[in-house]
Amino acid sequence: MVSALWILALGLGGAFGLGLVPRGRGDLAFALMLGALGAMLLVALGWLAVMAGGAAPVLITTAAAPAPFAISLHIGLPEAVLVTTVLIAGALGALALRGALLRLGRGAMAVLLVLMMALSGLILTRDIFNLFVFFELISIATAGLVLLSPDPRALAAGFKYLVIGQIVSILLLIGIVFTYHANGALGLDHIAATAPGVAGAGLAMFLLLIALVVELKPFPANGWALDIYESAHPGFSALFSAGSGTAAVFALAKVAAVAGPAWAPLLTGLGLLSFLGAGLLALRQTNDRRLLGYSSVGQLGLVLAVIGQGDVLGEATAFIAGGILLAHAAAKAGLFWLSALVPGRGLGDWAALRRRPILVLAFASFIAMLIGLPPFPGFYAKWELAQALVAHGRMPVLGSVLFGSLLEAAFLFRWFGRAMKAESAEVPSANPIDTAIVLAALAAGWGLGALWGALSGLSNVLTTIPVLFALAFVALEPLPARIKNVIAILGLVGWFVLRLPDYDPLRLIFAIVMLPGGAVILLASFTEGGRRLGFYPPAMLMYAGMALLLDAVTTFQFFAAWELLTLGSYFLILRGQRSEPHAQSYILFSLGGAFALLAGFALAGQGALDLRLDALSDIPVTIAPWVFVLLALGFMTKTAAMGLHIWLPGAHAEAETDVSPMVSGVLLKAGLYGIVILLSELGRQRLMGVDLVNMLAWIGALSAFIGAVLAVFQEDAKRLLAYSSISQMGYALFGLALFSHLGWLLALMFVINHYLYKSMLFLAVGGVYRRTHTKLMYQMGGLITLMPFSFFSVLIGIVAMSGVPPLSGFGGRWIFYNAILGTDLRLPLVMIFLAGPVGFLYLFRLIHTIFLGQLKDPHRQIKEAPFWMLVPQMIYVALLIGFAVLPGMILRRVDTYLGTVFGDHPLIWTGRAVSSEFGHWNPVGIMLVIIGIFVSVGAILLAKVHGAQKVKQFNIVFSAERPYRPETTHFAWNFFAPYRRAVGFLEAPVATRFWGGIGDALTAGAELTRRLYTGNGQLYATQVVLFVLVAWAIIFGGQS
Amino acid sequence: MIALALFTGFALILLGLYGALTNRDLIRMIVAFTIADTGVNVVLVAVGYLPGRTAPILDAAVPVAEAAARVIDPVPQALVLTAIVIGLGVTALMLAYAWRLFRARGSLDISDFTELKW
Amino acid sequence: MSTRHILIAGLLGLLGLAFWHLAADYLPDAALNPTAAYYAAHAADQTGAPNLVTGIIITWRGLDTLGEVTVLFLTSAIVALVLAQSKAPAGAAGPGFLPAGELLATGTRMLLPLIALFGAYVIANGHLSPGGGFQGGAVLASGVLLALLAQPRMRIGHALLARVESVSGLGYILVGLAGLAFASGFLDTAFLPLGRFGALLSAGAIPLISVLIGLKVGAEFATILQSLEEGEDAAQEEDAA
Repeated sequence: MVSALWILALGLGGAFGLGLVPRGRGDLAFALMLGALGAMLLVALGWLAVMAGGAAPVLITTAAAPAPFAISLHIGLPEAVLVTTVLIAGALGALALRGALLRLGRGAMAVLLVLMMALSGLILTRDIFNLFVFFELISIATAGLVLLSPDPRALAAGFKYLVIGQIVSILLLIGIVFTYHANGALGLDHIAATAPGVAGAGLAMFLLLIALVVELKPFPANGWALDIYESAHPGFSALFSAGSGTAAVFALAKVAAVAGPAWAPLLTGLGLLSFLGAGLLALRQTNDRRLLGYSSVGQLGLVLAVIGQGDVLGEATAFIAGGILLAHAAAKAGLFWLSALVPGRGLGDWAALRRRPILVLAFASFIAMLIGLPPFPGFYAKWELAQALVAHGRMPVLGSVLFGSLLEAAFLFRWFGRAMKAESAEVPSANPIDTAIVLAALAAGWGLGALWGALSGLSNVLTTIPVLFALAFVALEPLPARIKNVIAILGLVGWFVLRLPDYDPLRLIFAIVMLPGGAVILLASFTEGGRRLGFYPPAMLMYAGMALLLDAVTTFQFFAAWELLTLGSYFLILRGQRSEPHAQSYILFSLGGAFALLAGFALAGQGALDLRLDALSDIPVTIAPWVFVLLALGFMTKTAAMGLHIWLPGAHAEAETDVSPMVSGVLLKAGLYGIVILLSELGRQRLMGVDLVNMLAWIGALSAFIGAVLAVFQEDAKRLLAYSSISQMGYALFGLALFSHLGWLLALMFVINHYLYKSMLFLAVGGVYRRTHTKLMYQMGGLITLMPFSFFSVLIGIVAMSGVPPLSGFGGRWIFYNAILGTDLRLPLVMIFLAGPVGFLYLFRLIHTIFLGQLKDPHRQIKEAPFWMLVPQMIYVALLIGFAVLPGMILRRVDTYLGTVFGDHPLIWTGRAVSSEFGHWNPVGIMLVIIGIFVSVGAILLAKVHGAQKVKQFNIVFSAERPYRPETTHFAWNFFAPYRRAVGFLEAPVATRFWGGIGDALTAGAELTRRLYTGNGQLYATQVVLFVLVAWAIIFGGQS
Repeated sequence: MIALALFTGFALILLGLYGALTNRDLIRMIVAFTIADTGVNVVLVAVGYLPGRTAPILDAAVPVAEAAARVIDPVPQALVLTAIVIGLGVTALMLAYAWRLFRARGSLDISDFTELKW
Repeated sequence: MSTRHILIAGLLGLLGLAFWHLAADYLPDAALNPTAAYYAAHAADQTGAPNLVTGIIITWRGLDTLGEVTVLFLTSAIVALVLAQSKAPAGAAGPGFLPAGELLATGTRMLLPLIALFGAYVIANGHLSPGGGFQGGAVLASGVLLALLAQPRMRIGHALLARVESVSGLGYILVGLAGLAFASGFLDTAFLPLGRFGALLSAGAIPLISVLIGLKVGAEFATILQSLEEGEDAAQEEDAA
C-alpha cells in the first residue's frame, strides 16, 4: 500500500496542477479534479481494505525525525473509514456542484480539492499545530466554496463565518502554544503521555478543546453556521455537514482522548446541550436547509456527548460514535443533495418528491437513519449506548439522549408528514446525475445498516427473512397492486405455516391474529386497483416487525422488531387523507414508548449487551420494579391506555379503509403481547409500597370505562370504533393484570375476539365510507336495504362485541365475570362492569344511525360495498359464529397451557360445555335458546306487521334538544345528549390538554430561543465568546 | 521581560476583539482582527523566549555543540511564521469579501446583513 | 459608550481574566524542552541548516509549511473568485485609477531591480540566516505592489502567474515525495547531500524548497494584489474565459 501521505500529495498536486490547465478548458479542469479525487479515494480505499483486514495501525512520520519532533500522521481503522467517507462525500459532492464549479472555473475546483485534502489531513494528523493549519485551510476553503451558491445572501454568511473563524483561531493558537509550553511537544501522543489535569496548564487545554468544540457549531453559539447551511449551494452544504462536520468531530475526539477523562463531563454537557437545543429550535423551523443545519448541529452534539462518555463506553465508543457519525454523513449529504432536486425551500415544497417515488423512499430512509431507527447504524449505536450508560448509572445522560432523539423525530417526521400531505404543483428536477448522487447516499446508508448489524454482535435486522421479504416489495413496486397483494398474503400465510411448529400456545394466539389474521384483512386490499405505490413496503415492514416480535428471544430482537413495526405502521397510517397530525402524534408516542422500552431493557441488562427475554425473571429485586414500570409504560403506549391514548383515535380513524383494521385489529395486539411477556417474566412487583400489577388493573379499568364513555359521544363512525378500541384494550389489560388463570384466558380471548369484530366493523364502516364519502353518522341512515351485507356484519360485530349472547363476546364476559369475582379490586371492578352497558350504547348507535332510520337523498343510488371488502367480513362472521359455538377450538388448548403456568384448573371442560365454581356455560345450548327467542319474537312481529306505519320525513322528535344547525335537526346528532349532560365531565380532554400543553411549551420555547439568531454576525461572535466564558466558568468555577 | 511581552500580547488581543465586536464597519472589524492577530503572534513568540539566550541560528557565535544551552526555543518562531501567513491570508479574504459585499449591497455595516436568521 | 459596548467590554474583561491566569502563571523554561533540544542537537546531521527555524519550517514541520503555502494559494484563488463575481450596482463608481506621480514612477524603476535582488538573497540564504521562502516571496511581491502603484494599468499576465504558482507548487510536492522515496519520509530534505554545514549550497533540498516557496509566495501575493487592484475588471475576463 502506498503511503497515506499520497492522499494529501495527490490533493495538493491536483489543486496546483489545475493552474496549468488552459483557461477556457473547464471540462478538462473538471476531469483533472475528479481524477485527483478519485486517486485520493483509491488510496483511502486501499487503506480501508488493509485496516479492515485487521492490520495494525500505522504511524507515518514525515521528514527525518520521529514523532513528536517531526509532524506525524496516523492511519488506523477509524482514520481509514473516515477519510474514505469524507472523500466519497467529496467526490459525489463535486458532481453535485459541477454546474457551479464549471461556471466559476478552475480556481473553484482547486479550492474544492484543497478542502478535501485538508479534511483528510485533519483526520490523519497527530500534531496539534498541524491540526490548526488544516482547520484554517478548511475554513478558508469553506469561505471560498460558499461563493458557489446562486443565493446572494451567501456572501454575508461567508463573512460571518470568517469572523467566527478569526475568534476560533485566536483561541486555538493560544491554547496550542501554552499546551506546547506545558508539555514540551506538539505531537498528540506525546501530550497524552504528559497530559495535564484541569488545573494549571489545564487552561491551555481548555482553550484548545473549546475552540474545537466551537468548530462543531454547538448550540447556542452557532447562528453563523446555520446561515451557511441555509444559503450555501446544497452540494456544498452536504460537504459542510457530512465532510467538515465528520472530520471536525474526529479531530476533537483525538484531542479529547489525550486531554484525559477530567474533560469528559464538559464535552458531554456541551454535546447534550447542543443535541437538545438544536432539536428544540428545529421544531419551529420552516426552511428545509436551515432545518437540516439544525439537525447537523444536533447530531454532532450527540457524537460529542458520546465521546464525552468514552470512559464508560470503552471500546464500544468507536462503534457507537462511528455508527451515528457515518449514518449522519450518508443521510445528511443525501438530504442536502435531495434538496437540490426540490424547487421550493418550504418544508411543504418537498411534496414535489411524491412525483418520483424512489426519492420518497430515499427521503424516508434518510430520516430513519438520522433518528436511529432500524435497520440503520444509529439504531445499533443507540442500543449499545443505552446499555453502557445504564450499566454505569448514567441515567440523566441516557434520558437526555432519548429526549433529544424524540425532539429530532418530532421535527423530522413533521417535515416528512408535511411533504407527504402538502399539495404541490412543482416537479422535482429529473437530472440523472443529481438523482444518482442521492441514490448513492441511499445505498451507502443501507449498506452501513447491514454492516453495523453484522458488526454489532447482536442479531442483524437486515438478514432476517421477514425484513428482506418486506424490502423485496420495494423492488416489486412497479407490479400491479393485486399481484403484490397475492404475494403479500402468501408471504404472511407461508411464514405462519413455516413457524407454526415452534409457537407455544400463547404465542400461537398472537401469531394467528398477526399473520393469517393480517392476511385476511389484506383480502380487502384487492379492492384497490393500480399500483398503489407506497402501501406494501410499509405494510409488510409492519407485519415483518410483528413476525419478528413473536420470534424474539432476546431483548434486542424484541426491541428491533418493536421499532420495525412502529416505523412500518407510521408510514401506513400517514397514507390516510387527513392523517398527517395523527400520524405525527402516533409516531411520537410510539417512539416515546419505544425509548421507555429501551431504557427498561438496558436497566434489566445491567451492562450485558443483550439479554434473553426469559432471563428477565432473574434480574435483581432492587431494579426489577423500575424495569417493570419502564416496560409497562412502553407497552401501554401501544395499547393506548388512558392518558397515553390521545394518538389512537385520529390515527385509527383517519387511516385508509383497509389500514384501520390492520392497525386496530392487529397492531394493538403487539402491546398486549408485550404485557404478557412483561407479566409472565417479572410477575408481581412493588414499588414504594404500590402493587404495580394492581396499578395496571386500575389503568385497564379506567381505560375500559372512559374509552367507552368517549366512544359514546363520537359523531364519526371510525372514531367511535377507535375509542372503542381504547376501551377494549383496557379490558384486556385489566384481564392480564388480574394475574390469574381466568384473567389471562379472558385477555387471550379478547385478543382474538377484538381482532375479529374490530377488523370486521372497521371494514364494514370503511365500505360505507367508500360509498357515502362520509364517516359522520348523522349524515347517514337507512342503508340497511342498500348495503345488507355490511349491515349484517355490523350486526354480528356489535352482538359479538357487546358481550350479549349468543356470540363469543358472551363467552368472554362469562369467563370475565368468573375471573373478577375472584379478585378484591372493588372499584375497578365496578368500572369494568359499567363499561359493559356503556359499550352497548355506542354500539347501538352504530347500527341504528347508519343502517336504520331514513335513507338520505344523496345516498339513494349507492351500492353495496365492494366484493373484496365483503369477503373478509363474511369470513369474520363465519369465524365469530364458529368461535361462539365452539370456543373450545383454541380456548381449550390455551386453557391447558395456562394451567401449566398458573398451576390451577378453574374451568372444567365437559363436551361442549364449560363449568367453573360460579356456574357453567354451554355455548351450543345458549345459541339454541337465543335462536328460539329470536325466532318467536320475529314471528310475533311479522304477524303484526300490517299495523306498522312508515315514518314520515319530518316526523322528528327532538328529545327536548333545541336544533341550531342543519345537522342538529337530525335525530342522530348528539344522540346521547342526556348522557352527555350527566357524565360529560368525563369527556374533558385532560390528557389531550396535558400533552398539548407540553407540545405548546416546547414550541413556545423554540420560538423564543431562536430569537437569539438575529442574523447579526457581530452578535454571533459575541455569543461565541460568551459560550467560551460560560464553559470556562462551569469547569473552573469550582476550583478558583 | 517575558511577562511584559505576554501582557502586551494579551492586551492587544483583547483590544482587537473589543474593536471587532463593537465596530459595525466591516473594514474596521478587519483591522481590529489584525490587531488581535498581532497580539496572538506576540504571545506566541514570547512563549518561546528563554532568558539570557540568543537567536536559534548556529554560527560562529553559537557552535553546534553548545546549541542546546545557548539558543532560545525555535519552535514558537516557526509556528508564528505559519500563523502570520495564515492570518494574512484570512485578512486578504475578509477584505475581498467586504469589497464584494459593498459592491453588492452598498453598505459596509455588519448589522445590514441580517436577512438570514432564526 | 452604549450598553452594548459596556457589556462587550465586561465580557472581554472576563476573557482577560482567563488570559491573566495564563500570563501570571507563566514560568519560562530553564532549559530547552525535549523538542527544541532535539532540534538544536540534530540541526547539523538531519537538516544541515544552521538557521534552526528554517530547518523546522521546511523539514521537521514541513507539512505545516506546505499547508501554509496552500493557504496563500487558496486565498489568491478565492480572492480572484470573489472579485471576479463582483458586479458594481448601478450608479456606484468604479475604483478609478489615479495616475502615479513622477517621483513614484522614477523611484520604482530604480528600486525594482534592487527589490528583486534582495528578495532573491533572502530566499537563497534562508537556511543560513534570518529569511527564507516566505520572507523573500513577500519581498518580491512588494516589488509587484510598488509597480502596481506606479503604473496602475500595468499587468503581469494572469496566465504567467498561474503557471509559476502551479509549477512551483507541483515542484514542492515532488520534492516532498522525493523525500518519501529516497530519504526517510515525506518532505525529508536529506535526499540531497547535506553539504558543508553553513555553506550556501548545503542543507539538502532546503534551498530548493525555499526557492520554490519564494516563487510560489511571490506569485500568489502578486495575484492577490493584482486581483484587489483590478476589482471588477476581472469579472469580464473570467466570464469571457
